Amino acid sequence: MAPRVGIVGIGHIKFGNLSEYDLVDIMAYTATDALRDAGILADRRMVDQLFVANMGGGVINHQTGIASALVSRLGLEPTPAELVENGPASGGSAIKLGYMAVASGMADVVMVVGGETMRKVTGWKATDFVATLGHPEAEYGMGLTLPAFGAMFARLYMERYGVTERDLALVAVKDHANAARNKYAHVQEPCTIEAIHESPDAHVVNNYVAEPLRLYSVCPVSDGAATVILVNMDSPKAAAFRHPPIRIAGLGSATDTHCVHNRKDPLHLDAVRLSAEKALAMAKLTPQDISFAELHDAFVVLELAIAEEVGFYPRGKAVEAVRRNENAIDGKLPLNTSGGLKAKGHPVGATGVSQVVELVRQLRGKAEPGRQVKNPRYGMAVNFGGFGNNVVAIICAKE
Amino acid sequence: MIDFSVYETKQLEIYAYRCPECRAEYYPAPMLCAKCHCRRDPSGIVHKDWDPFPLEGACTLLTWTRVWALPEGYDRPCEMFGIVEFPNGLRAAGRLEAASPVMGMALVARVEESTERPGPPAKVFVFSEA
Repeated sequence: MAPRVGIVGIGHIKFGNLSEYDLVDIMAYTATDALRDAGILADRRMVDQLFVANMGGGVINHQTGIASALVSRLGLEPTPAELVENGPASGGSAIKLGYMAVASGMADVVMVVGGETMRKVTGWKATDFVATLGHPEAEYGMGLTLPAFGAMFARLYMERYGVTERDLALVAVKDHANAARNKYAHVQEPCTIEAIHESPDAHVVNNYVAEPLRLYSVCPVSDGAATVILVNMDSPKAAAFRHPPIRIAGLGSATDTHCVHNRKDPLHLDAVRLSAEKALAMAKLTPQDISFAELHDAFVVLELAIAEEVGFYPRGKAVEAVRRNENAIDGKLPLNTSGGLKAKGHPVGATGVSQVVELVRQLRGKAEPGRQVKNPRYGMAVNFGGFGNNVVAIICAKE
Repeated sequence: MIDFSVYETKQLEIYAYRCPECRAEYYPAPMLCAKCHCRRDPSGIVHKDWDPFPLEGACTLLTWTRVWALPEGYDRPCEMFGIVEFPNGLRAAGRLEAASPVMGMALVARVEESTERPGPPAKVFVFSEA
């Protein structure tokens, strides 16, 4: 029987514009934060495997071999270290590989670090870089970017399910309220429905980015890093850590067509559904058992669509929960308690790890006042790569 | 005599592919037919390559957007993009030229050369009103 795997250390840097800092330095900062949190800063050689999640180091930072650089920056040689690149799902994939390393018996203590510095280049270069995950001729070459895919998805979704721009603005208001209380969030300013939707000047504050998506429907371009430390909970080494482990109860991943236009129904996110089904089956849970979730809302419409694919709501019904404010911190099912990608930010390689850091903070009961979910037992993270073509779902449990 | 044919402009077409075994059609082409598992061989050395045919003409708009945050290379404030479906069921994404786009509207697909994106010129679909 495979050992149980838990998270005993977390580290995070405030997301935002960190363009004056070195990518490996900000990763190393969160790694040392996690080692300190775990209580093994001086005994860091307990880490017997390092996985590093990053999407654009080679393109944006002109730096390759990032795992080797990080292990050396931390003085962790000769610990094995590998880089994981899986687009915006790199972080979730790195945690999955960390889990597999522990579950297989190849390692007892694994450190997973995700990081990205996207603001070292202009916004249009960053947009171009992320767009390279599309099909080279049929998507990227046509000029399509991720905001374009998000917008075309949103237009279909809004048309089919009667979702309005006001509904999307309500999701943004909720995300910004959460981020305003999250010390790690990129955008810590709350916003109101009046300012971004209802006032006569709302269209100035909240202009179109890719119609029908507006500024407050889209995540910012962020720099940042996050770290988690995994342990074999059934090993004697587990006793060395300061915090009781938060168990990884379920984990699933799946892929979908590279070209978005080749999906039978462009609104079906099959990889989300399949990865969530696998994670729930592994955890022996149903969607109704989940206390709160971090969903990959690079575009706020994805919070609704992913919530439906995971099984929290029937198709087209998530908007009703939004209108009833059920996804707020004190609601029936809090979503994106961190502020989500929308307001916490989306440094692509860091995002999946950051989502799991948030699960651990909530399950430990250590989120900031006003942002803590009441008595959570199970948290779920959905990390969405490409435009839904490579997805990782992770469920964490308070033992 | 000078052979002027060498100066002919390369035809601007984007190809879909037909599996030679079961006639299933794809855009873009995979390396294996999802229906009969026939392999493609772009080199034509080991197997006969699949039959290419130009993807163009009448199509229907499935969804669209006007993007104001364009990526590197564009020097205009916005550009419209859409996903269309051809009568044979194949779908494609590309640029959209329509005064008032409406999902389900009839369009015509043509191919143009684009130099906006980094790298060599790319062939792009342009969908305009029928």
